[in-house]
Formats: sequence, structure tokens, C-alpha cells
Amino acid sequence: MQQKKSFWKRLTGSREASLVLILVALLIVVTILSGGTFLTPSNISQIFRNNALTMLMALGMLCVLLTAGIDISITSILAFSGMTIGLLQKYDILHNTFLLFLIAALIGTGCGLLNGLIISKGKVAPIICTMGGMYIWRGLAYVISNNNWASGADVSGFSDFGKDGSVGPYIILAIAYVVFFIVMKWTTFGRRIYAVGSNAEAAEVSGINVDKVISLVYMIMGLLAGLSGALSVSIYASAQPNMQYGKEMDVIAACVIGGVSMNGGRGSVVGTFLGALFYAIVAKALPLVGLESIWQNLIKGIIVLAVVLLNVLTQRAMDRANLERREL
Amino acid sequence: MKRKVVSTMLCAAMAAGLLAGCGSGSSSSAASSASSASSAETTEAVASGSGEAVKSGSTAAAGTADASGHTYAIVTKSAGNPYNEREASGFKDTIEALGGTCIVQNPEQATADAQISVINSLISQKVDSIAVAANDANALSAVLQQAMDAGIKVMTLDSDVEASSRMVFCNQAGVKEVGQALIDAVYDITGGEGEYAILSATSQATNQNSWIDAMKSIAESDDKYSELVLDEVAYGDDEPQKSTDQTQALLQKYPNLKVICSPTTVGISAAAKVLQDQNSSVKLTGLGLPSEMKEYIGDDDSHSCPYMFLWNPIDLGKLAAYTSVALVNGQITGAEGDTFEAGDMENSPYTVTKNADGATEIILGPPYKFDPSNIDEWAEVY
Amino acid sequence: MAGKSGREINAVPQNSVKQKILSWEGGLVIIFVAVLILGAVISPTYNFFSVFREMPKYLCEIFMMFAMGYILIIAEIDISVGAIVCLAATLGCFAGNAGAPLAGVIAVCIGVGFLAGCLNGVILTHFTELPSMIVTLGTQIIFRGIAEVSLGSGGSVSMSNSKIIMPLATMVGPFPLVFFFVAIAAVIFIFSLSRTTFGRKLYAVGSNHTAAHYAGIPVQKIRMICFVLIGTMAGVCALFYLSTTFGANTTTGQGYEMDVIAMCVFGGIATTGGKGNLIGATIAGFTIVCLRIALGQRNINTQLILVIIGLLLIISVLIPRISEVLGNRKRRAVQG
Repeated sequence: MQQKKSFWKRLTGSREASLVLILVALLIVVTILSGGTFLTPSNISQIFRNNALTMLMALGMLCVLLTAGIDISITSILAFSGMTIGLLQKYDILHNTFLLFLIAALIGTGCGLLNGLIISKGKVAPIICTMGGMYIWRGLAYVISNNNWASGADVSGFSDFGKDGSVGPYIILAIAYVVFFIVMKWTTFGRRIYAVGSNAEAAEVSGINVDKVISLVYMIMGLLAGLSGALSVSIYASAQPNMQYGKEMDVIAACVIGGVSMNGGRGSVVGTFLGALFYAIVAKALPLVGLESIWQNLIKGIIVLAVVLLNVLTQRAMDRANLERREL
Repeated sequence: MKRKVVSTMLCAAMAAGLLAGCGSGSSSSAASSASSASSAETTEAVASGSGEAVKSGSTAAAGTADASGHTYAIVTKSAGNPYNEREASGFKDTIEALGGTCIVQNPEQATADAQISVINSLISQKVDSIAVAANDANALSAVLQQAMDAGIKVMTLDSDVEASSRMVFCNQAGVKEVGQALIDAVYDITGGEGEYAILSATSQATNQNSWIDAMKSIAESDDKYSELVLDEVAYGDDEPQKSTDQTQALLQKYPNLKVICSPTTVGISAAAKVLQDQNSSVKLTGLGLPSEMKEYIGDDDSHSCPYMFLWNPIDLGKLAAYTSVALVNGQITGAEGDTFEAGDMENSPYTVTKNADGATEIILGPPYKFDPSNIDEWAEVY
Repeated sequence: MAGKSGREINAVPQNSVKQKILSWEGGLVIIFVAVLILGAVISPTYNFFSVFREMPKYLCEIFMMFAMGYILIIAEIDISVGAIVCLAATLGCFAGNAGAPLAGVIAVCIGVGFLAGCLNGVILTHFTELPSMIVTLGTQIIFRGIAEVSLGSGGSVSMSNSKIIMPLATMVGPFPLVFFFVAIAAVIFIFSLSRTTFGRKLYAVGSNHTAAHYAGIPVQKIRMICFVLIGTMAGVCALFYLSTTFGANTTTGQGYEMDVIAMCVFGGIATTGGKGNLIGATIAGFTIVCLRIALGQRNINTQLILVIIGLLLIISVLIPRISEVLGNRKRRAVQG
């Protein structure tokens, strides 16, 4: 009986549940505003496909934020890896889709590892290290592109993978989320990330190699950013050095909306998914509900801030409820 | 104390590294006033001092352009864009063929801010002329006026600024002609009646706005177009992702949509991909780079774009180069009626004309149509 | 470590922290001079006059750098400043076009900045569990959104009567007017950080804000003041930005927040709070400005300039760590 009740409590009292409620409310509003045409299969698949990059990178960002870090170099890594494989195809060096994805992932992993080492071994604040990375990788993407794009015809075979109607992006997303869900929930490594984020000193004392965990976390982030680079080239059939410029903030916002704490130690894969989904639905819905283009950013900002504040309020209410129960 | 020494040394090493890193070949820059540099981006800046010789050397060159002894700068919209790159290469090749020195500057981002920094730096280098493709019609006027006060000949190409802050504008195609071509394409592809939508770049892009306005006013003034309905002007901000979102939204919001017209290279290729992937019956036209659009141009249902327009960005750069040279030589001042030779270019000699707002411009020619018959050939060029 | 040798503790001078910072600034001065020499070597036109002529646009950002120094010292961050500049410049421009005199434009720019800073401050002090990063991320989108909406479909506005703003763009001899304002701001900000109780409170809040709270420091009030301050300085920045461009558009101020944070960090201010001072940041700010001007006059690829600044940033934060490791090794070697 006790067991059952606490399970029920956990379901209704959790952040995820409150986020689901917000999502449902948002969907109802959007469906009414768009005249009941929002939740069509093609729309739903487009929501996932157009925001696959944000959703994928949000997983890495979750790990980074859990260790109380931050990574703002991700879209620059994305551009660098994406541009590299775009050029490999443009100059007919390589056309194998699998190998190209592998190369992009390796480049991303390398960049991420570098971030991780500088942060863990060099004791540099994450935001500063990745800000430097943001300038460097983006700059290199421009330099190697030499003012060229890899476009439609250049990447024709490769872009079939991410084409509208192809299941490629969905499979990558699904695998990534399942793997992360398992790792974060049931493996030692997952628990170590939480431990490092909650209290790095305590983690160190209890025998966790904090430096190693932090390096790995940034490496994973880099890996996902590199993969997203390949995915981006595939989905949009073009590689440009300025791709996804400034979108790192969207990824961070998606995580925070999903209840991931920027102070570390708190957040979940499910929450991240819901946050990214929320962000994706807003991006999809704004042009659909007949809002003039120039209003869209303002509305988006207000929604983001409102949800973040709402998150805090529900958390406070939950804490108070818990306290009351304990006092009883 | 030791730490102090160590960190001081490291700082010094850092500075030394910097010196070595970007000073390559720099020591010769003061001496190499006549040599034409080889690298694409970092063309040597010529030491000033040649500014005084401008007038004495120019009077003789009435017919043939001569650029020797002068430095000409071009500021594109941003780095990392093949269209801008072609434009700059046309400019650079022409200037160097005429014996002048050329500086190509691609701002780090497509913003007026980034262009202001670059132009400021060019003023310091006392170049003889600046040709700029403006990212904003207003924000550059202060710095361009400063340049003109410093005796630099200022002209715009591709995208104009206020008429008072430049001498002349090299227009790739008359605004009216582009508008006419686009609305005619919409008329033709829709079959004379139906709904269409426009997917533009950013809301402040000067030339996109003027073409769209021209399309609208032509459609209003002529009964021929009365059956065409413009559903919406959407803005994709020249980002592939946002352009994709906007295209999909257009398709969904307007089930009777027949044609999307996208007068911007990023927008048109993003929209083309969406339409082609979905096998949509909606067709596309607009302004796009042949090399970007090769995949999507075709007459049958499996291609989304029957035809589109553009001008030759290389030629636009060339024309800007000849204009700069003529301005520096004192052959033209940018006043209406001025005429100058432009080497082997198609419509040479060119004449300065006045546009509808009374600003002076030089028009390259009518927009060029790309269809299945010529796309392969042009995709190789730009 | 201390257990091994009590002697060592005595050997470390009391003001070792201060000395370290001093050496950091010493290093910065050397780099600054090196940049100037570098500029003169690589560009024949790099001289006193051309540097000051190009400087006003960059000097606008220095105003925000001072306040950002305060923000970083109390272990916060504000990434909405670029958007505040955009909004304030836009509305200031509208005011000028509506016939307001210079005083009116000044009031609008600074007022908008002040109010935007207040909004950030109010949210952050009422929702203390929220990190400033995410709040200012949200308000950043909102501020720029308001500017976009008020700019309308053109997305850009120009000062129809630029004479209003011209007095701010005058040159006093070879110096632009804004240089003197930056100098005044520098004196005020540096003085209040290093010589007043307010300044010491900032360090206390940044080092450990729970401890500061129990020590009777009004932590939330301090945070509020800092965010209002940076908003106001963003307004000042917008004002002088207007005087160099006579207009504003939707991309105005893009990336300023990162530029400003980079200057502070390069100047030795730690983003983790409680460390660094504004003298270093000021030298660092001018170093970056002079470097950008030098590389610009050499026509270096603009993207490469960003790569160089990124490298500088990472190296500069790694230096203290490297010297520390080297120092430890040496000490160990001596002891061994």
C-alpha cells in the first residue's frame, strides 16, 4: 500500500508530470489556433525531423549540465564537422554515408575531448573554455570552407539518409534516447555523473575520478555535436559554415525547460526529451498559428521565460508539500 | 616571485607566438607597393602616399581603364557564402588585370556591425575606393560618409545604402525588371490564376524588400495579374532550418497554394528541398545560385523548380571593379549621364541612370533565366 | 600540503594573492605593448591617429565591460546585454526621429537600459533558485523580440536628423569624445570596486554568497544593483553606438555579450566569482581592441581573427594553471 501510494505521488508530483501537463495545454492551444490541423502524422514527423539536432544535442547538454558545466561550443563543433564531411563529398573524396557519419562523429569527439581536458585538467571554467572553442571551431569551419558551400548535388547520395520520408534521423534519435536513458538510470557511469554534479568533492572522496568523468562528459557532448553536424548536412542537404549559428542557446533552453538544473546534479533524460519536444512544438507552431513573422521571436522568448518560471514555482510547491508531509 | 616570472614569460611567449602566427610575410608589406599579392583573403595593403597622384594620372585615361598605382577595396556581405565569393573574385581579377591592387574583405557575419569595423579599417589604410554590398541601408551611412570625407570613392553593389552616403550603385538588375520577371514567372507557372507565397530572407534585407514591393505594385497596377493572390510573405532569415520550417508552414496553412517565390539563395534551396522531398505539387521559382539549385531544376513532376533567375555575380563584381576604377580616375562622378567603358563586358559602355527614387545607379542587365536547358552548364561556373 | 611544512606557510607572503594579480596585470601590460608593436610592424597605417579614429565603435563595448566585471565577480552572468543595446538603440533612434533633442535621446537610451536591467534584476532576486544564465537567455530573446516588433518589416531605422546625435561623435584633438567618458567610467568603476565597502561586498558575495548572507551583506540587493548597473551601461553603450552609426537594426549588438565577457576573462576575472579586478580587465579590453584594429588593418581574414581571439582566451586562462603546476613541481623538486 505504502509502495503504491509513493509511486502515485511520484508520478503526480514530479517535474516531468508537470511538464507533460504544460505540453498538453500547449498542444490544445495550438490545435485550436491552427484550426485542428496541428496533430497530423506528417506534422509530428516534421517536428522530430526539423528539431532532431536540438533533441540529439540536448542529451549531451544534459550530461554537461548535470556536472554543473556548460558547453556553448556545440554548434561550432557541429559546423566544423558538418563542413568537413560536406567538403569531402564536394571534392569527391568520399561518398560512403556510414564513413562520413563516422568521420563527423570522430571530429566531434576530438573537439569535445579537448574541451574536457582543458576543463578538467586545466581547471578552466567551462563557459570560458567552450567560448574559446566556439570562436575557434566556427572560425576553422569558415577557413576550410574557403567561401564555398557543399550543396544539393554535392551531397546527393548522403542526403537520402535524412530526406523527408527516410527513417534515418528518427532511428538515430530513438537509439540515442534509449541508450542515454539506460546509461543515466542503471549504470555506474550515469550515477557518477550525478554524483560529480551534486558534490564534486564528495564524489572525489568516495573514489570517483572526477576529472575523468568530466572529460568523458564533454567528449560525449562533442560526439553528439559531431553526429548532429552530419545529420544537419543530411537533413538540409547543404553544408554552410554558418549553420546552426547561435542555436546552442536553444539546446540549453530546451534542457532547462525540461527541468535540468544548471547548478548540476538534477535532471533526467525524460525531462530533457520533454523540454526539447516543447521547444520543437513551439518552433513548429509559431509560423502555423497565423502569427506575423516579426512577432515570433518575442513570443518565443516570453514562452521560454514563462515555462522556466513556472518550473520554479512548481518546484517550490513540491518542496512545500514535501515539507508539510514530513511535519505531519 | 617565481610564479610572477613564469607567467610573465608565458605572456611574452604568447605574444611572440602571435607575432609569428599572423605576421607572415608582413615585413615586406611597406615595400611592396606595386606587387600584386597572391593569397585570396589577405591581399597586401599598399602603403598610402599614392593618393596625391590620383588626379594627374587620370586625365589621360579617357577610354581605357587603368588602375595601376591605386588600391581598390571590396566589402562583401559576409564570409562563407559562394555568391559573395564569386562577386569578390570578379572584382579582384578585373582590378588586378588592370594593374591595380585589390583588397577583398569578407566581414565575419552578415551584419552592418561587422561591415562598419571593416570599412573603418579600410579608411585607415587610405584605400582609393571602397565598393560595399550593404547589409543594412541605414547603419552604414555614418561610416561611409566618413570615408568620402577622407577622399575615398565610395560605391555600392548588390545591395544599396542611402543615396547620399555613396556615389553610385551597381545594380545587378533593375528593381522593376526583377519584380517583373518574378511576377511573370509566378503568372506563368500558376497558369494565370491562383495562390502564391513569398519566402524572403530577413525582414531588413534591402534588396529582397524592394523586389517584393516591386512585385506587389506590378501585380496591383496590371489587370493581367488580378487572379493571382499573395497569401503571405514569410521570412526564413537565410537560415536553412528556419526556411524549412517556414516552407512547411506555408504548405500547411494554404492548401490551395500553387507557387512559392523565393528571391533569396538560401531560401530557394531550402524550399526546393522541402517541395521535392514531399513530392509536392507546389512549384517554386525565384532567385538562386545555379550550383546550389542544379538538383531541383527540371520540367517534370519530380523536380520542384521549373526555372529561376539570377544574374552573374562574377559580372557584377567586374562591373563594380570598372566603376571603381572610373570613379578613382575621375572619369565619372556618379552623376546621371556619366558613361564609361567596361572592357570586354557585354553591355559596355555603361551609363549612370536615375532610379525611381532619384538615386543614381548602373544596371548590369536584365536578370538571367536558368532552366533545364542551361542549368548544367552554369552550375559549373557559379 | 600544509601539514608537511609549517615553514612553507610562513614563507608565503601574506599578500601572495595580490602579487599574483599584480603579475597578471604586468603580463597584460607586456602583451598590450607587444600588440601595439605588432600592429606597427604588420601595418604601415597603424598609428596613434588611425587607432583612435577606429576606436569609438569598440569603446561602446568597454562601458558594458566594467559592469560585466561586477557581474562576474559576484559569480553571475548576463548574456542579454547585446539585446539590451539593440532595444535601447532602436528606441533611442525612434525618440530622435520623433523630434526629441539630444537630452531626450540620452534619457531614452539610458532609461531603456535601466528598465531592462531592472527586469533582469527583479526576476533574479525573486526567483533566486534560477541561474542568471537562463533568465538572461530568456530576456535576451524578449528584448530583441521587442526591438524586432517595433522596427517592423523594414527591420532597420536611421536617425533622420543625425545632427541631434552628432555632438557625441565629435573628436577632441585626436581623441574621440567617447574615450573621455570611458576614462571617467573606468575611474569610477575601478575605484568603487577596490576602495569602497560596496566593492568588498561584491567579492564577498562572489566568493561565498551564503557566508556573505550570514555576515549581514544584503546579497539580493547587491545582485539587483549589479544587474541594473549593467543594463544602464548597455544603455550608455547604445547611445554611443547610435553616435557611430546614426541607426539601429535587428542585428545591432549581436555577440556583444561574448566580446565583453571575453575581455573580462582575459583581464583575469574568473567567471566563478570573487576573483580579479577591473584594472586588468581594462588593459585587456584595450588590448583586444588594439589587436582587432591591427589585424583588421592587415586585412587578416575576419574569421581568423576570431580564431586568434578564441586561442588567446583559452591560453590566458590556462596560464595561471600552468604556472601553478610548474611551481608545484619545482617546489617538490627542491623539497625532494
